[in-house]
Amino acid sequence: MKRGDAVTALTSERSDCQYNRMRTQILAAAWALSCIPVRGGGRLNSPLRPTVAAAPPASLTPQDSALHALNRLAYGPRPGEVARVAAAGVMRWIDRQLAPDRLDDALARRERAFSLLTYDRRDLAAVYLDVQRERRERQQAGDTMADRPLETPRAQQGRRLAGEFEQLAAMRAVLSERQLYEVVVDFWTNHFNVYVAKGADRFLAPDYIEHTIRPRALGSFEDLLIATAESPAMLFYLDNWESVAPGSTPPAGPQVRVRPFLGRRPALFPPPRDPAQPDSQRQRALERQPKGLNENYARELLELHTLGVDGGYTQQDVIEVARIFTGWGITRPQEGGDFQFHDWAHDRGEKRVLDVRFPAGRGQEEGIRLLKLLANQPATMHHVSGALCQRFVNDDPPDGCVDDAVVAWKRSHGDIREVLRAIVHGADFWAASNVRAKVKTPLEFVVSAARAVAAEPDTTPRLAQVVARLGQPLYLHVAPDGYPEREAAWVNSGALLDRMNAAVALAAERLPGVVVNLDSIVPATEDPERLIAAADREILGGTMSDRTKRVIREQLADVHDPIRARALALGLTLGGPEFQRQ
Amino acid sequence: MTISRRVFVQSGGLALFSLGLDPLFLARAAFAAERPQRSWGVSDHPILICLFQRGAVDGLNMIVPHGDPFYARERPRIAVPHGDVVDLDGHFGLHPRLAALKPLWDSKCLAAIHAIGSPDATRSHFDAQDYMESGTPGVKATPDGWLNRYCQHDQEHQDTPFRAVAFGPQLPRILAGTAPSLALDDLQTFGLRAPQPATRDRLTRAFEELYAGSATGLVSASSQEAFEAVQLLKQADPGQYQAAHGATYPRGKFGKAMLQIAQLIKANVGLQLAFADVTGWDTHVNQGASEGQLAARLAEFGQALAAFAQDLGEKLRDVVVLTMSEFGRTVRENGNAGTDHGHATAMLVLGGPVQGGRVLGRWPGLDPSSRFEERDVAVTTDFRDLFAEILARHLRASNLAAVFPGFSPDPARFPGAIRA
Repeated sequence: MKRGDAVTALTSERSDCQYNRMRTQILAAAWALSCIPVRGGGRLNSPLRPTVAAAPPASLTPQDSALHALNRLAYGPRPGEVARVAAAGVMRWIDRQLAPDRLDDALARRERAFSLLTYDRRDLAAVYLDVQRERRERQQAGDTMADRPLETPRAQQGRRLAGEFEQLAAMRAVLSERQLYEVVVDFWTNHFNVYVAKGADRFLAPDYIEHTIRPRALGSFEDLLIATAESPAMLFYLDNWESVAPGSTPPAGPQVRVRPFLGRRPALFPPPRDPAQPDSQRQRALERQPKGLNENYARELLELHTLGVDGGYTQQDVIEVARIFTGWGITRPQEGGDFQFHDWAHDRGEKRVLDVRFPAGRGQEEGIRLLKLLANQPATMHHVSGALCQRFVNDDPPDGCVDDAVVAWKRSHGDIREVLRAIVHGADFWAASNVRAKVKTPLEFVVSAARAVAAEPDTTPRLAQVVARLGQPLYLHVAPDGYPEREAAWVNSGALLDRMNAAVALAAERLPGVVVNLDSIVPATEDPERLIAAADREILGGTMSDRTKRVIREQLADVHDPIRARALALGLTLGGPEFQRQ
Repeated sequence: MTISRRVFVQSGGLALFSLGLDPLFLARAAFAAERPQRSWGVSDHPILICLFQRGAVDGLNMIVPHGDPFYARERPRIAVPHGDVVDLDGHFGLHPRLAALKPLWDSKCLAAIHAIGSPDATRSHFDAQDYMESGTPGVKATPDGWLNRYCQHDQEHQDTPFRAVAFGPQLPRILAGTAPSLALDDLQTFGLRAPQPATRDRLTRAFEELYAGSATGLVSASSQEAFEAVQLLKQADPGQYQAAHGATYPRGKFGKAMLQIAQLIKANVGLQLAFADVTGWDTHVNQGASEGQLAARLAEFGQALAAFAQDLGEKLRDVVVLTMSEFGRTVRENGNAGTDHGHATAMLVLGGPVQGGRVLGRWPGLDPSSRFEERDVAVTTDFRDLFAEILARHLRASNLAAVFPGFSPDPARFPGAIRA
């Protein structure tokens, strides 16, 4: 099926099809014309590239549909953006967001301020290992301050890099023009969650985000799945690196080492053995050799990453999957902790997963075969499509939305971009019942508030720390399921009060770590009507309730200082109920 | 006329705000009008504090079965030496860094229960915590937590925003559900923050009115609960709190959570259920014995519990503290001088109503043949039997079957933690 047919099929299912199809054709012509030079570049190789832009249903005004798209497919509008997207056509904006490579993004200049991006795994490992050593030396020296933070240059460097890691995510979400891309990166970051505070993941996680998740966020699901399976961060986080065939022993010689990986907080690595006792050290090294299967990754691969908990697998499948991944390990951290397949640790027996036979005698390639099998299971398509629809459409994903996504998944062989396109072109995405139907997560709230006031975050982790204070410290969700998407997880009394506090501080220009530009919304004035109109138009896209207007008006009645009046009006808007929804 | 709490907040209170009347006075009046018969928290108002040791505590090094010959044998590097154990009954003893709890044991305010856990065999933290909080082992689809279900089915206390409080930034699974419950990170900073009290009050009123107009659903309900709590809390003045009877809480998150729970109990704001997490128990590597990683966590844990009991003094007679953890750890130490995920663990029950000074439950022994899957402490008490006993005998819950669906609570199986 060609792209044009697909879109026609999708749009014709809608009730307002006649009008829309006309608009679609007109827009399609315009879009095709405007795109010719760009398409000539041929940077995208998907056979299903956009050639037309569908129209949103007529039930939403251009303004409302622009706001909805900016709320769900971006981290909310910046001042003036709703009007710009509405004028240019929301479907055209969406298609551009689906091809982020072609969007001019000044982000690279910002990213240069983050020195973290110049460190590879080896460099980061070196920093953390040095800090570890310094901490050990301090303990051995009997320092009574041993529970205080280390203040050596290396320790400060490590803390700065850790701060940059979380702030980089917040900064990109606030400033990138490739908004949908950043939203999808966040989705996969949670779908393939790792916990940065677990041992070696302190230095493996940044590389994981930069080079495993980000380059594949809008690519093929199969590629993404394989990349996460091979990533040292995931191998460490879900313990697969120490899963070996029962009874296997490593070859003698340099392979037998003290395994310096297993440290938990606060120590990254276990304290050193007494150097005067090499025999004991060797003995411990031998004792530390893993002795059998670890099912952790196998279980989460099936339950969370692919089939879903009701995906029809058994405990025996989990064991067989774990056997297939025996030997998928990592090199020593001093060597950067790269992926390495240990032949000696691999279970070479026959396995059966989901009634598919994996013949005896195979090595690393059977893991790849399994991942491809899992990536293309119907249960995986439904599970992952359901998660995407939950993120983009409704906490309780509508069946129609999931079905559309699965159809696109099958047609495109798991091209994430096409699955997303099917979701945002589907009737459910635009249904009035799904507009403003989701509550923002803390990340979405903080980032959208920062965008609403045209904030410029700096490289300190202070904006990310606001997200953390509201309950969502980035990369610090300890369980493999990632941060929840459902409203019930985020809405509670304490969290709402914290959101109000953050909103008030931001509008009063008291939130550290960002410089805001309130003038881009409205110049300071004590005129309540001007303030209310601007807050409604620029922050809430024209959806401010009469009640909110009345309350703000009452609050402004006796405030005669223009700066204070503006801060109060914007703070109440950002902290109020309308802005919690998207 | 009885003013219902919700009606008061939604309309009456707001109308009166605009007349410039003291909202706190009115809040008190409204509560008093509604509940003339009870003065909160003073007499027989039972309170349950649930503490979750997330990460699976090693029950064997917390409540040490030093009389079991396999204990020392299986743990050459991490067994607590016999001489260090604080003996309880000749067979079990406290880890030495829990010594602060021994006086509570001696005064029969502390009981331990061993070999307790889930009928579900999972060794996944994720699943096991989920089951312990939902109260439905093996069933993931349960939408709410068992503490919340208790609130739903036992509505006597439902009209204070502080009935059920979790300390932390997120509402835990155990309290998730349709009954109102509060998540708060810090009593001192709970509420709107502003340099001047007048500004703060003004912001509070403005936001309260904004949210009173928001549609139904969680945002509306939670914001309502938040503002009610803010009002009541202002009356309680948490900034003035001083621990009583010379109690000293350990520094750190857990000590602070326990201090704040004590504070709320003494503030008489109607607290019935409190919940807090205490982390750091996943000791796969270099767990230590009398000293070390686990010892440090236990020291903080024990000191916080002891300080809490001391601080409450007389009020402890209304309070039961229940500790829980998703599963225990392997009997045999692993190759990294740590322990891996196991099955049964130990839990503590502390408080005035506790039938203490005893280690409860049937001890299955550490003999490999009596272990679960030949490696872990076998479960001889379903955790729901203990939880159900506490709900029934301490909180006098009437509908246990609704709190633990798919389970038939039977007093004959109650471990006997609470004085009947």
